[in-house]
Amino acid sequence: MQDFNFIKPTNLEEVSSLLINYKDKARLIAGGTDLIIALREERLPSNLEIIIDISHLKELDYIREEGGYLRIGSGATHVEIAQNELIKRYAPLLSQAASLIGSPQIRNRGSIAGNIVTASPAADAVPALIVLDSRLVIRKGQEKREELLQKVFVGPYKVNLKSDELVEEIYFKKLPQKAKSDFSKLVRRNAVDKSRVNLAVVAQQNEDKKVIDIKISAGSITPLPQRFKEAEDLLLGEIPTANLIQKTGEKVAEEMMVKSGYRWSTEYKEPVVKSLMVRALNRVLEVE
Amino acid sequence: MVTKKIELNIKVNNKDYKLLVSPNKRLLDVLREDLGLNGVKEGCGIGECGACTIVMNGKNICSCMVLAGQAEGAEIITIEGLTGPEGELHPLQEAFMETGAVQCGFCTPGMILSSLVLLRNNPSPTKEEIRAAISGNFCRCTGYQQIIEAVQLAAEKMRKGGVKVNG
Repeated sequence: MQDFNFIKPTNLEEVSSLLINYKDKARLIAGGTDLIIALREERLPSNLEIIIDISHLKELDYIREEGGYLRIGSGATHVEIAQNELIKRYAPLLSQAASLIGSPQIRNRGSIAGNIVTASPAADAVPALIVLDSRLVIRKGQEKREELLQKVFVGPYKVNLKSDELVEEIYFKKLPQKAKSDFSKLVRRNAVDKSRVNLAVVAQQNEDKKVIDIKISAGSITPLPQRFKEAEDLLLGEIPTANLIQKTGEKVAEEMMVKSGYRWSTEYKEPVVKSLMVRALNRVLEVE
Repeated sequence: MVTKKIELNIKVNNKDYKLLVSPNKRLLDVLREDLGLNGVKEGCGIGECGACTIVMNGKNICSCMVLAGQAEGAEIITIEGLTGPEGELHPLQEAFMETGAVQCGFCTPGMILSSLVLLRNNPSPTKEEIRAAISGNFCRCTGYQQIIEAVQLAAEKMRKGGVKVNG
């Protein structure tokens, strides 16, 4: 295990000033489910001096409704998100995604912001948050800035946050009552496994069954979390038919190959992504 | 780099401790090395196998995924804390023996502690609920069937006997 000093600040203000003082010599720890592994494998830069614990901070542990928005403190754990009534009602796919992360033990510790800033391409909460158009509130000292979630990812396991910044909150608009959402994932075993493919969809149709909103994102199949705009465009404004849904599934698989290239797993993943996508779309859309 | 030991106040199995520990110790190391609680096992060390499961502030967690300092002020239950003052076994421990749910025994403490949390929140779980509750605990020898039977039997014992679940 790498050496470091451990600090347990009493509030967020103290955390912010420690980050400003120590910059890249400091790392935050919340659930620790990724960081502790990295520390044990001595993968953190050797200039590491302090680990700042934020797992106990009540200021970061909340889920609340504010106007048309849901606001989630960065320290909220996966189990809190999975079981929260507001999230079940207004963003059910996020509840689904959180309930499928890791294992009960991991969900009891891991935080939503940890899932984001670790930036694993297989992160389960991320595609769900992307189709919700989530924004991050990022804090540095007393200053705050906002960023669209998608914009913070710059590479696998890389986010463009500065070392003196921290994620304070994630927020998004509540889904309209008539919108439907779905999160699904493919794993090799039923528990404690990384997603091979995960898919998140939000959709809404009007009275004539015309698709008036469709957002698709996926994890584990592209280097960066992204929306599948070309696939979305096939459906937007249309009344979905079985044929159109097939084509949309194919388009997602096609976009995956454009972004990820032909890999050893492509022969398997291409048909699987397509059919998982078709199934997900059939769950959220009324088809002619 | 010179590191400074940290003071750690924790309540483990209903006993208060004040310890001075290295900042880069995990809670798992503190429990095993400083307190001699060897019922807490280290399996994978990366939060996947659940052998190091303990109950911390009412939740089952992997003690290999918590830095010592993060446990400051916490209330912790390990397998050693389930036994009564006269050495009497907890219904979960009895049930695991009675159904043959223990073979090598390495996963047993974690299995029992995940089950304890389940039974505290849900005194009459279904098989599916038991499976979900122990899905973060791997057994590589006995197989899960006897373990599920053990949890069902323990639930029954506790409902009948009016046993209050510790912690």
